[in-house]
Amino acid sequence: MSQPLPASPGTASHEHVVGMGTVLDHVRTPREVLRPHIVEFRNVTKTYNVGKAEEFTAIRDVNFVVEDIADKGEFICVLGPSGCGKSTILRLIAGLEPQYPATGGDVLVLGKPVIGSGSDRGMVFQDYTSFDHRTVLENVTFGLECLHMPRKQRDELGREWIQKMGLNVENDAQKYPHELSGGMRQRVAIARTLALKPRIILMDEPFGALDPLTRLNMQDLLVKLWKEVQATVFFITHSIEEAVFLGDRVYLMSNSPGTITEELKIEPANRPAHEMQRQPEFLEAVYYIRDKITKLESNP
Amino acid sequence: MNSTFLNRLSHNWLTLRKPVSRLQAIGLGVACVLVCLAGWWFLTRGAYESRIVGPLTLPSPAETFGKFPELWNDFALTRNVLVTLRRVSIGFALALIVGVPIGVTAGCFPRVHAFLSPLIMLGRNVPLAAVLPLMIFIFGAGEKNKVMFIFVASVAFVISDAARAIMDVSARYIDTAYTLGASRWQTITKVLVPLAAPTIFSACRQMFGLAFGYIMLAESIKIADDVGGLGYQIQIFQRRGFREHIYLIILVIPMVALVIDQVLAWVQRQLFPHVYGGDGVLRSLVRVTLIPWENMKSRAFYRTPTSLPSVATAEGPK
Repeated sequence: MSQPLPASPGTASHEHVVGMGTVLDHVRTPREVLRPHIVEFRNVTKTYNVGKAEEFTAIRDVNFVVEDIADKGEFICVLGPSGCGKSTILRLIAGLEPQYPATGGDVLVLGKPVIGSGSDRGMVFQDYTSFDHRTVLENVTFGLECLHMPRKQRDELGREWIQKMGLNVENDAQKYPHELSGGMRQRVAIARTLALKPRIILMDEPFGALDPLTRLNMQDLLVKLWKEVQATVFFITHSIEEAVFLGDRVYLMSNSPGTITEELKIEPANRPAHEMQRQPEFLEAVYYIRDKITKLESNP
Repeated sequence: MNSTFLNRLSHNWLTLRKPVSRLQAIGLGVACVLVCLAGWWFLTRGAYESRIVGPLTLPSPAETFGKFPELWNDFALTRNVLVTLRRVSIGFALALIVGVPIGVTAGCFPRVHAFLSPLIMLGRNVPLAAVLPLMIFIFGAGEKNKVMFIFVASVAFVISDAARAIMDVSARYIDTAYTLGASRWQTITKVLVPLAAPTIFSACRQMFGLAFGYIMLAESIKIADDVGGLGYQIQIFQRRGFREHIYLIILVIPMVALVIDQVLAWVQRQLFPHVYGGDGVLRSLVRVTLIPWENMKSRAFYRTPTSLPSVATAEGPK
């Protein structure tokens, strides 16, 4: 802790630039944000087994605000050591038990407290969650089917999304998930979420199980599609490169109990992943974050 | 030299878990049957007095199979097989109709499961031979008694297997369904039940085999005259001392069970192509029959949401 690092929270310092990122001197508060808030956390705490011997606080006093940028949305990446409560934050936004409801504080989406889950907050998981009994097309149209959209209409939309995800409509639409590779399964999972046009897309390490090359391809695809769907994305990852490449903002979290310690603003991705991830400015930002996380992990 | 030969033989023939070709598998099965028949013949060859195993214990193969026409014609084998099958099928179908919905409900809602668990415990552990006399008091000695016996014998197992199958579906599928906007009911009908269905089906397929065994017990209690069925027949033959017929029926039962099991296996493959491969004829059939129902719901409930742009505008840049 002796090494003086600028921009650690609490100390009076100013914004500074690291490569293609800008480290804010503190995590923004609602007062500093002019546009409406799409997601806001106010002193959110989640404790499990309250009052029992195995009481455990996953996150404590998490505060942050994400503004609703019209027709675009922001891409927020959340980074931090393992077990720091990244998934807890995502699942609180999604309204999924047992993380939801929070033990204390307010989770607000568009100014209203989150009550349960809904298709306005789509989620993509790391584990393959394709419905094994449904074909690719039936998987992609699942949410539309739940809305009772007529079959013809939803199949048409589904085929369109299958194509956008880089899958072959003719060959793949009638396949079952077990016939697909990991990358293809995640494409189906993403298509299934995007087809519902959610305002917020929550992604919990969606590319964590993919091989490096597939991962880069998926990153490029995601950037392209995200520009089209105009949603706010929360993206959890262990890969700092992935976070800096995809993110407009990066939240850094500290360990047990988890809280957000730092916010970085990142220049948007404007070229393919494999190209951009070699730029010195890109690497500078990555190294800065890596040092921070290493420090957080060794010094909880 | 000799040991290397044995070594090679053992490596080629007994490689750990090496798959066998279909032809070889059938050949080996036939070989087993032939070995058993040969053993049977050897033990019962020659004149009555000089046999290793006496004719009162085990008749020879020729004597046994010689009685087949009599069993087929005079004792109406097919009719009795069908009578027995009908009883098992009706009783088991009742157990499915009652047990699967209860089991699914219990699997979905742990409170329901906790409430039902004493009954499931009782049903699974009750000594069936002891229940049978009670069943006669309640349902009489006729058909109803036998059908209800199969029902009572299997319904608790159906419930607990269905509940277990639902509980074993990973929670991440529920999370996924919820974040895609599915209601609780839709999550049950579109996700939990279809994902658990292959497990439930194969558990029931095994249980049907057991139920086929229970029916022999119910049929061997003779109160009314000629109730028919294989169990009843065995009872008659035992009283008259027709050993050959009993052995024949014991050989017939597994064959009938095998045929039924193969039929169920086919149904299973066609219903769940995502588990067993194949073209899923029955699955397609089920889906096609549901289309009118689905269309009706679409007409009743679907409102074009404002947040979902039509296909044409989804592409265009703002």
